[in-house]
Amino acid sequence: MAADITLSRQATTTEPATPPGHGPLRRFLGTRHWTFAAGSVIFGTILAVLILGPAIWSLDPAKQDIIQRLKPPSGQYWLGTDNLGRDVFARLVEGGRFTVTIAALSVLISVVIGVSIGILAGRLGGWFEEISMRIVDLLIAIPDTVIAIFLVAIFGPGHVTLIVALTIVGWTPYARLSRGLALQVNAMDYIRAAEVLGMTRRFILIRHFLPNLIRPISAVTFLRFGHKLITVGGLSYLGLGVQPPAPDWGLMLAAAQPYLDRAPMLMIAPGLAIFITALSVTWIGHGLEIDRTKPKD
Amino acid sequence: MWKIALQRVAMLILMMLCVSLLAFLVPMASGSDPARTILLSHGSDLALDPAQVEALRRELGLDQPLPMQFMIWLGNAVQGDFGNSFASRQPVIHEIGSALIVSATLALSALAIAVAVALPMGTLAAMRPGGRVDGGVTLLVQTFVAIPEYWLAPILILIFALHLGALPSSGWFGPTSVILPALALSIRPMAYFTQVTRAAMIDVLNAPYITAARARGLSMPQTVLRHGLRNGSIPVVTFFSLWFASLLGGSVVIEVIFAIPGMGRLFYEAVINKDIPLLQGGFVAIVALAITINTLADILYVVINPSLRGANGR
Repeated sequence: MAADITLSRQATTTEPATPPGHGPLRRFLGTRHWTFAAGSVIFGTILAVLILGPAIWSLDPAKQDIIQRLKPPSGQYWLGTDNLGRDVFARLVEGGRFTVTIAALSVLISVVIGVSIGILAGRLGGWFEEISMRIVDLLIAIPDTVIAIFLVAIFGPGHVTLIVALTIVGWTPYARLSRGLALQVNAMDYIRAAEVLGMTRRFILIRHFLPNLIRPISAVTFLRFGHKLITVGGLSYLGLGVQPPAPDWGLMLAAAQPYLDRAPMLMIAPGLAIFITALSVTWIGHGLEIDRTKPKD
Repeated sequence: MWKIALQRVAMLILMMLCVSLLAFLVPMASGSDPARTILLSHGSDLALDPAQVEALRRELGLDQPLPMQFMIWLGNAVQGDFGNSFASRQPVIHEIGSALIVSATLALSALAIAVAVALPMGTLAAMRPGGRVDGGVTLLVQTFVAIPEYWLAPILILIFALHLGALPSSGWFGPTSVILPALALSIRPMAYFTQVTRAAMIDVLNAPYITAARARGLSMPQTVLRHGLRNGSIPVVTFFSLWFASLLGGSVVIEVIFAIPGMGRLFYEAVINKDIPLLQGGFVAIVALAITINTLADILYVVINPSLRGANGR
């Protein structure tokens, strides 16, 4: 919540213009802060392991071997085994597919809804702007776990509820940010010029609005993605998200609690997975943000 | 200024009405019959007497039309009466009251730790923007933001409670039991406070009165302490109140991990036990507190900052 305020504050001081004369690939890779490259590599590796991993290693995350329970990391079990003798690494890969997909889906839907409402509010103004921004104020004020838990209470746990709940609390920062940006762009002379030249609304929207919004919005999207991962894990930890026996990073953390002393790796591994994933996307977002706040050379 | 304050308060009342309506509709949405649930929670056998259910329905006013029911419920809620909890059979308002004190203590301790670390860290970073210290602080902030608090908590328990045996691993009994949960909870606000302090201090340190103080011969540390921090911490005060509001009800996971009888855990247990009066009361209380504190912070911000008066708030 508080983060949104900082983010939108920074965003309003940026210049949405892009430098001419660079190829898109060069612009994408060459001119950014090192955190962008580091974050991209780490996040890319994580995604590759999550997507391809099960096909390559053919480890079974559900196979129980009660004699081998709570074993420390070894050559056979890279991250040890859990209380039912299941391979922690295999479960980590399987669980990450749930956690990351749910966080990504809810972020993507939030962006689409938030940006649409934000641009409409900024372009139309009037009662639509007033009502939508009041709703944003209200939702931003309420702790998002509370809203999510409240919705889960009504609709019951499960991944669809989780995505819906996270979207309901998640679209507001994008709406606030893109409204601000839309107001900024709207005041530009080239919009007046385009209007005077008789361009259609759709042309102005696609040619002038979206290009100016893409970079700041994508920076915030990655920054929020890390936060969303942590929230997804937290709700699963509470038993309100993905239901067992499906492995999920939050669920694995919760299940590790009774074995904290005997098998600390059981707790460390899924938490570290959330942490590294969240950090890598935060770095990507930071790199995108730094780049656009930097004075152009 | 009074106009803005009045507008805000009117908005607050309207928002609370919407939220109350939402909370009121919960039992209908979840499709359970309150009269049945109450009788079942009183431990009567599974075969409920239909006449008994009907009598309780009438007593609860469930035979009235829906808008009428809402008016009755709202009338009671405004007076602080949300009914009795199904699980404990205590009045909901009492449970919320004692849980709020616990959560407020926890939230204030966590925020105190956060501010104590963030103010010096943000100030140091702001002294030389883009320098090595600044880079290090930024990295630290990004790390703190990415740490899940429900991961930090078991790590802290493992180190300080299980290995060193220095602090209790869970429960709520006196000052030692506050330390670990407050630490775990402080990490995220710490990151954001540092960012805010840094941004504010960079602005402040560029102000003419800082140059003037330096010209009068004050050393840099003296200048920062006397003139910089006083002005640079204003935005932190605003953020403090917003975070306080969000931690009052939002520290669910930490309260569950450490078995702390606060607002977050109360709300969580209401969900798990399908304790509808507690769920409604808890939700309304958390939301009411959050948006009241937000509104107060908004008004306060205008009071502190005379230059904003006359402008239209945000």
